[in-house]
Amino acid sequence: MTGTPITNEIRRLRFEHGEMTQQALAEACQVTRQTIIALEAGRYAPSLELAFRIARAFGVGVEDVFRWAA
Amino acid sequence: MVLRRWRGPGLLLLAGAALWMLLAGHGTLLGMDVGVLGSALLVGTAWVALYAVSTTPDGVLDQGIAPGEWQAWVGTVFMCMATLYFVGNLHVFQGASISGAPHARVIVRNLMMLLIAWTVLSRVLASRWRGRVQTDERDRDIEARAAGWGRGALVVCVITLAVTLGLSPADRLEWATHFMIGNLMILALMCGWLVEYAATALLYWRDRR
Repeated sequence: MTGTPITNEIRRLRFEHGEMTQQALAEACQVTRQTIIALEAGRYAPSLELAFRIARAFGVGVEDVFRWAA
Repeated sequence: MVLRRWRGPGLLLLAGAALWMLLAGHGTLLGMDVGVLGSALLVGTAWVALYAVSTTPDGVLDQGIAPGEWQAWVGTVFMCMATLYFVGNLHVFQGASISGAPHARVIVRNLMMLLIAWTVLSRVLASRWRGRVQTDERDRDIEARAAGWGRGALVVCVITLAVTLGLSPADRLEWATHFMIGNLMILALMCGWLVEYAATALLYWRDRR
């Protein structure tokens, strides 16, 4: 699970949303804090459903959070 | 403060001593069965660990470690103890039936005590995260991959047993009573579970690094 071709802007978006904590985002998306940590570190590629949940938590589109890096 | 610092290593030391006593078999110490003393010490250690977990401040336990990883490590340790204990006492099951193997009841009782200690510790751990999400898609992904390893180990154990029984000359299979074969099948299951728990814990650990 190390290294995925999908990059994300979760860390930046969290800080732009009032320095939202990882725990707060995890609760908003119904996942564990460790999953948010793994996502931010680029060690885990989320399912489409989780990607939509995260984007919705920030009020943006999926493509504003996740990008295909390759 | 000093007590808190040494609590973890102390508990590990106690658990190690308890495991050694469990594996020591049927010797006696001060007129008491060493195996029974070991299982009692193990249950006692589990209760102290339980108290330690219940008094740990919120947020300390889940600092970087997912609830699923905690459960996987606890499962690995208990399954490892149970499997070692079972293997160490396998000769007890050479009787024709449980009535012909009087020590078998003691082994089964000690294994049950291990199982109870494990269940209680897991429940208390789970209660630390009550009201929070404890498993999500990443946990399920890790569990699915670990289950594959567990299935693989079970298949290897069953094939090994089948080949041993099928290809060995009859005069070399005097040990293979139906009671022993039944217990070897249980051991194969335990090995499968042990590999599954260990793989889950290792996959979490690798994912964290």
